[in-house]
Amino acid sequence: MDLSPLGMAAPSMKERQACWGARDEYWKCLDENTEDASKCKKLRSSFESSCPQQWIKYFDKRRDYLKFKEKFEAGDFQPSKMTAKS
Amino acid sequence: MLLLARAPKAWHRLFQLKPLALPGTPGGKAQHVRYQLFSTPSPAETGRQGQPQGPGLRTRLLVTALIGAGLGGAWLAVRAEKERWQQQQRTEALRQAAVGQGDFSLLDHRGQVRCKADFRGQWVLLYFGFTHCPDICPDELEKLVQVVRQLEAEPGLPPVQPLFITVDPERDTVAAMARYVQDFHPRLLGLTGSAEQIAQVSRSYRVYYSAGPKDEDQDYIVDHSIAIYLLSPDGLFTDYYSRARSAEQISDSVRRHMAAFRSVLC
Repeated sequence: MDLSPLGMAAPSMKERQACWGARDEYWKCLDENTEDASKCKKLRSSFESSCPQQWIKYFDKRRDYLKFKEKFEAGDFQPSKMTAKS
Repeated sequence: MLLLARAPKAWHRLFQLKPLALPGTPGGKAQHVRYQLFSTPSPAETGRQGQPQGPGLRTRLLVTALIGAGLGGAWLAVRAEKERWQQQQRTEALRQAAVGQGDFSLLDHRGQVRCKADFRGQWVLLYFGFTHCPDICPDELEKLVQVVRQLEAEPGLPPVQPLFITVDPERDTVAAMARYVQDFHPRLLGLTGSAEQIAQVSRSYRVYYSAGPKDEDQDYIVDHSIAIYLLSPDGLFTDYYSRARSAEQISDSVRRHMAAFRSVLC
């Protein structure tokens, strides 16, 4: 990626697809290991080297949201005791 | 023939309805009249008419039906006239909007100035996004060009112009746009401009956008509303499609709009 005065150029289609592939591999590993990131260190570093930092933060947040949504839809989520009292 | 004979008597009975409208006599006369109209004829009445009850009732019903039909017809005629007038007003408003609203002056990815009038006569599918977008913009643009390709393959349909307008004018220069659009469709046109021009066109199409915080690489993500807009050959906003709509659903919708389209511009 060449550096322009405004920072790095946007990833090309190939670079995007490489990033998404690495992300999907990493997420598949997390799915298989019940979110245990320590078991997926290699895929994590591959993911981090394939994607811009902003995208990694974005995808991590997205992962959190998707997992939360799964729990919520399965009815696993319980309101904390604090909110019940207030 | 029978009706003509009955009619004067029936009208006479109708005029007897008038006292009913007056608030004056709660009992007495009004009641008496009403009773007269709806009850069986008294022996005196029967004597006057010299007829049994049947035809008298039928006459009354027939006259009521005729008056009802007359009023109904008049009401329908007035309603049709009102709808015609409203349609004229709407068409006039659309004509003014087509000329004035949603105009823009932007640079395409080849460096040429483009404004809304350049696209008159064409159906346009428009998407607002930015080239540094992680996943949503590429997905939506891929879906958009899929629609364009599906419609291109159908004979007899006019070609649809795909447009991509950036909400990140700071980074999305003409060169950046050129690099980006080439990955999707040869006819996909990327549009960029100054911060003011982009703000103006986003306002026209009610697109929200907000650049996030920059990180160490000076990289940032622009939060923005996600929708594919359909513009008619008159340049008017016709429909919009959210993330949830598939390419097939959008193609169907565009086809329907094309079939129903009537230009308001001469």
